Amino acid sequence: MKNNRRDFLKQSAATIATMAVGSPISQLLTSCGVKNTENATADSVIVLFMAGGMAHTETFDPKKYTPFSKGMKSDSVLSTFKAVPTALDGVSFSEGLESIGKVLNKGTVIRSYVAADLGHILHTRHQYNWHTCYEPPQSVVVPHLGSWIAKELGPKNEVIPPFINIGQRFDVGEGEELKAFHSAGFLGSEFGPFMIPDPTKGLDSVRPPVGMSLKRFESRNQLYEKLVNESAMGEFGSDYQKESLKRSMEQAYILLNSPEAKAFDLSQEPKEKYDVYNTGKFGLGCLMAKRLVDQGARYITVTTEYVPFEGWDTHENGHTRLVDMKKMIDAPIAQLIKDLDESGRLDRTLVIVASEFSRDMLMEGRPDLRVLDQVEQPDVIEDIKNYGMHRHFTDGCSMLMFGGGIKKGSVFGKTADERPCKTVEKPIKIAEVHQTIYHALGIAPDTNYEIEKRPFYTTPDGKGKVEMDLLEKKVQGVS
Amino acid sequence: MLFKCPKYIFGYALFVFFFTTNQALAQEIAQVEGGFDFLQFIGRFHIVIVHFPIAILLLASLLEILSFKNFNSKYRPAINISVIIGGISAIFSAIFGYILAQNEEVTGQTLDLHQWGGIATAVLSTITPFILWLILKKGQSTKISLYRWSLFAASLGVVFTGHFGGSLTHGDDYFSFSNNKEATPKSGFLTLNADSDSLSKENQIKLIGEVRAIFAHNCYKCHSSNKQEGKLRLDQKEFVFSGGKHGKIIEPGNPEKSELSRRISLPRNHKEAMPTKGKALNADEIELINFWIKKGAPWPDGSLQPMLFKVAKMEPRKPNLPTPTGDLKNPIDLWVNEYFKQNEIDWKPKVNDRTFLRRTYLDIVGLLPTASQIIAFAKDQNPDKRSALIKQLLAQEEEYTQHWLTFWNDALRNDYTGPGYITNGRFNITDWLYTSIKQNKPYDQFAKELLSPKEPSKGFVEGIQWRGTINASQRVEMQAAQNVGQVILGLNLKCASCHDSFISDWKLEDAYAFANIFAEERLEINRCDKPTGKFADTRLLWQNLGNIDSTTSKAKKMEQMANLLVQPANGRIYRTIVNRIWKQMMGRGIIESPDEMDNEPWSQDLLDWLASDFAEKKYDIKELIYLIASSKIYQTASESVKSTNLLYDNNYRFKGMTRRRLSAEQFSDAVSQIITPIFTIKDMKYSGTKSNPIKPAFARASLVANNAFLTALGRPNREVVSTSRDSQASLLQALELTNGERLTNVLARGAKYWKAQFKTRDVIIRVLFSKALGRLPNKSEMKAAQSAMDENPSIEQIQDLFWAVLLLPEFQLIY
Repeated sequence: MKNNRRDFLKQSAATIATMAVGSPISQLLTSCGVKNTENATADSVIVLFMAGGMAHTETFDPKKYTPFSKGMKSDSVLSTFKAVPTALDGVSFSEGLESIGKVLNKGTVIRSYVAADLGHILHTRHQYNWHTCYEPPQSVVVPHLGSWIAKELGPKNEVIPPFINIGQRFDVGEGEELKAFHSAGFLGSEFGPFMIPDPTKGLDSVRPPVGMSLKRFESRNQLYEKLVNESAMGEFGSDYQKESLKRSMEQAYILLNSPEAKAFDLSQEPKEKYDVYNTGKFGLGCLMAKRLVDQGARYITVTTEYVPFEGWDTHENGHTRLVDMKKMIDAPIAQLIKDLDESGRLDRTLVIVASEFSRDMLMEGRPDLRVLDQVEQPDVIEDIKNYGMHRHFTDGCSMLMFGGGIKKGSVFGKTADERPCKTVEKPIKIAEVHQTIYHALGIAPDTNYEIEKRPFYTTPDGKGKVEMDLLEKKVQGVS
Repeated sequence: MLFKCPKYIFGYALFVFFFTTNQALAQEIAQVEGGFDFLQFIGRFHIVIVHFPIAILLLASLLEILSFKNFNSKYRPAINISVIIGGISAIFSAIFGYILAQNEEVTGQTLDLHQWGGIATAVLSTITPFILWLILKKGQSTKISLYRWSLFAASLGVVFTGHFGGSLTHGDDYFSFSNNKEATPKSGFLTLNADSDSLSKENQIKLIGEVRAIFAHNCYKCHSSNKQEGKLRLDQKEFVFSGGKHGKIIEPGNPEKSELSRRISLPRNHKEAMPTKGKALNADEIELINFWIKKGAPWPDGSLQPMLFKVAKMEPRKPNLPTPTGDLKNPIDLWVNEYFKQNEIDWKPKVNDRTFLRRTYLDIVGLLPTASQIIAFAKDQNPDKRSALIKQLLAQEEEYTQHWLTFWNDALRNDYTGPGYITNGRFNITDWLYTSIKQNKPYDQFAKELLSPKEPSKGFVEGIQWRGTINASQRVEMQAAQNVGQVILGLNLKCASCHDSFISDWKLEDAYAFANIFAEERLEINRCDKPTGKFADTRLLWQNLGNIDSTTSKAKKMEQMANLLVQPANGRIYRTIVNRIWKQMMGRGIIESPDEMDNEPWSQDLLDWLASDFAEKKYDIKELIYLIASSKIYQTASESVKSTNLLYDNNYRFKGMTRRRLSAEQFSDAVSQIITPIFTIKDMKYSGTKSNPIKPAFARASLVANNAFLTALGRPNREVVSTSRDSQASLLQALELTNGERLTNVLARGAKYWKAQFKTRDVIIRVLFSKALGRLPNKSEMKAAQSAMDENPSIEQIQDLFWAVLLLPEFQLIY
């Protein structure tokens, strides 16, 4: 796999964004909306994204378990795993998620996320919606949640990029559609994601070019500076372009020499800890997220990576594959919560586990708005490959939230216990999720920028409502 | 003695600073080679050094006043040195100022006052130390009061002169005491009618028109059909008078009791102040609204909704050319000359051949001139060699096409990869586009084929169809209406495709009526994605251009539309394209943004004439480029701009071509040209047709798929139309260039070839400078480069020299 170190590096634009004069677009933009970071309950956000559609009945919202047997009826299957207890009395998770269950006393499980109705299901469109709060396509390039936060709050530590995205490659199926929302859009590219496709190679991206000694890097830079000073300065006198060229070069040089770079170096972690996290790229991504938050990162996404028909995108063998997926996520997520809690950072770090939508064995879309089935499902199951949640379900998805002002040991919302296992209490949509995150960070609900002469808000028309029931204590709103 | 007095040290420090600064600059200036205006440069130092005499002479006067009773007070040594330095710096200021005045485009009464004040002050400041010398060294103590008068006069002089100097630099109102910085000219209405007791109906209509314009520009965002904050709407009479959730907002006849007046007059930081978004109303606007309420808030029923936003004229207009004067023959220059006369701007000299060559090559074919081309051009004795070169470049069909392809790909949202292709929801038009540019297809034909397409050009109006359901305002028919509006007609329909626009007079119905042309069946109007059950007619945005037969097929409707839009009566379409080409060549449009052609041009005459001439010359884009490139104004020294905001300011004044950054494609191609190709032929996503393959010397960046390198340098994701690129550098780009794999690898590869080919250090330095910058290194550049390399340099040293030169602003700018 190719790790594109450029993707990583280029985005650290945002790192020193506050020092920079900024791109002309963002210079011309004027933000509306009052920041109220005094009431903020979080400084950092980590989104652990279960890309590909994680079935709620197989993970954080288990229903009646029906073990596999040849000749079983599809419509009798709600969960293909046993339910296991969690730290909360009467609250169960699905088998294989025991470790996360044990830290549920530190957070909230949301069981009533309702994804958007986008018709025929295309994962990347729902992911676009999850990460930007807008439904594609739009007439302007829309900023990612992380870009809004980077733009509004800037980096927490100037040397750590404020928006880091770990684990997603673009040279996969639907790569172009993925690029469409991994963008700062009209906020200006300096607020875009700093991409680390492979956390084991993250360090390469914050060093001088591979094979170039530090000494050579220094003297190359000296030669450049000398030539800049010796060249016909007067002729190109005071000009924003020239100035910005020079300044950006200085910033790049500072960044590449920064000591914080070691946060990207996973080999510095003690072996025992490294091993707990090391369930693969996702687990190591969680470890890097922890290290970066320790150094003052602002917003991080770690994804199980979306590759069509892989990971959570189970179009067959749903049960068997989920055994592996749970192994991939259970230990690292639980460890991340524990480590943040022990270092005291969980209090100010909002950790979210989410997916673009859920899955069901029979229902595609939602009960009152079914869409075209994409997977054949026999009425009677003969082969274990048909045993699992293979269709896309939008009307009841699970999400976890920890830290940063989120209630501890709480359950939010409810889905039906019989098919369709749809949301029956406290439905929550993406605009509310985003607005709650912004609220925790102290970003005003009506934050907007004027683009092409019209206001563009963090949530469509600024209408997203903060879900106060998710929050530990009711802080006076900032509207 | 000298070092006992702290004030002496201070004065001495100033002295040293002053002279060393100038010395360093002088050195720098000496290094600059030909083509640079030394006098202008030195003149600009006037603005720096004038602060010395001001501060120092005033200090001397102050200390002199303190020593009034005792001439030999403890301040005496400080006064003496101040008088001397003040005098010297005043002379320098005056000289530099005189030079500056000769080299800048400033004239007028303020300048005259400033100039003569400055000269008088300099004379006085020279006399003063002389008298002082007589007193101190010759013991002529009777001259003390003469000396003091002279000093005080000089101090008054610097204040007087400084005031007018400040006005010249910062504007006339800079020193005024008025707080009203955003003062706009009073509404014509107010000045005319402020005192009249009753208003005629005609005046009432005028008045409500002005009030509503204020509402529209400042309040509709939150208080109109789209949005009703506080349940208040200000877009219709009954809503304005019925008020919001807190009751009525207007008490006719009584502004003091009207909530509206109170809220707009509150200080900005008050939580009830209105408007909450955008700029506060200025004093005149508030006064106008108060006046309207005081007059009983008249709103005659007969008053039609006025056009609230400026709309550009549709019909073509060909103003009579000014008569040629002096060396000005090109019609563009005649119009620019008119503009310069009106705005008191002087012509700058033409640039030298080297600069002209670099500029023209980059603008027309997107490549750098080679060293031999530069030498050959220098030797050419033909007086018309510049025009001949432009023609020759325009005739290089493939290179020209491969350059302009980028501009059109951005505008037409055409790319080789991107969202939509995966589900067959998007169509590539590269083959049609490449061929059309290469053939120099007349623009009316070009536009017709885009608007009423056959298979190869349908990608533009077909838009991007995502799988699944999408917002009604983004259905492909609406995308077509928006994109045709933006790119071809220079207007923004994006707002109006969801609800009535609050940035223009376009209504939701207008957008749907236009979009219906791109649909087989009429589209149900959706307001903010909610079906309304209503349908619009099928029509153009301007019915005076003609009608569309709504009963016919989509293809027929589009054909009718295409024919109607390209007709000569539609001046807008041609103003839009000539403005875009102008922007490409000159860095800033005659109108900005080029997508909003209702905005004010800096020269309506030039724009109108160019558009009419373009139509008369059969819509020939190359002719237009030739006309621009062969003008004197294109060939004069470029303008540097201190901040991007100034470029888009309402008070922008055109002075010449603005400096631009190389585009991602120009930078890549330049590296490919001078070092070694960045992309391989295999990377090319378009290589012509079987019968007509294209085989460039190297893979031009416009022909390859977007990638991390090009994205970092500013190539947009072409999911939405993009008509201008950021020309400011960002850290993102710097990192890509400093540490990026692609550039690092290319430079390493190139260094190997160069080592084998050119062998020794000095040759390599000279060749690199000639290839990259079109000139030889000057002495200190040569020295700097030599000191970083062995005489027999290593590959790594060559690679690092490449890097240092390619990152120079001089390389990365079109100047």
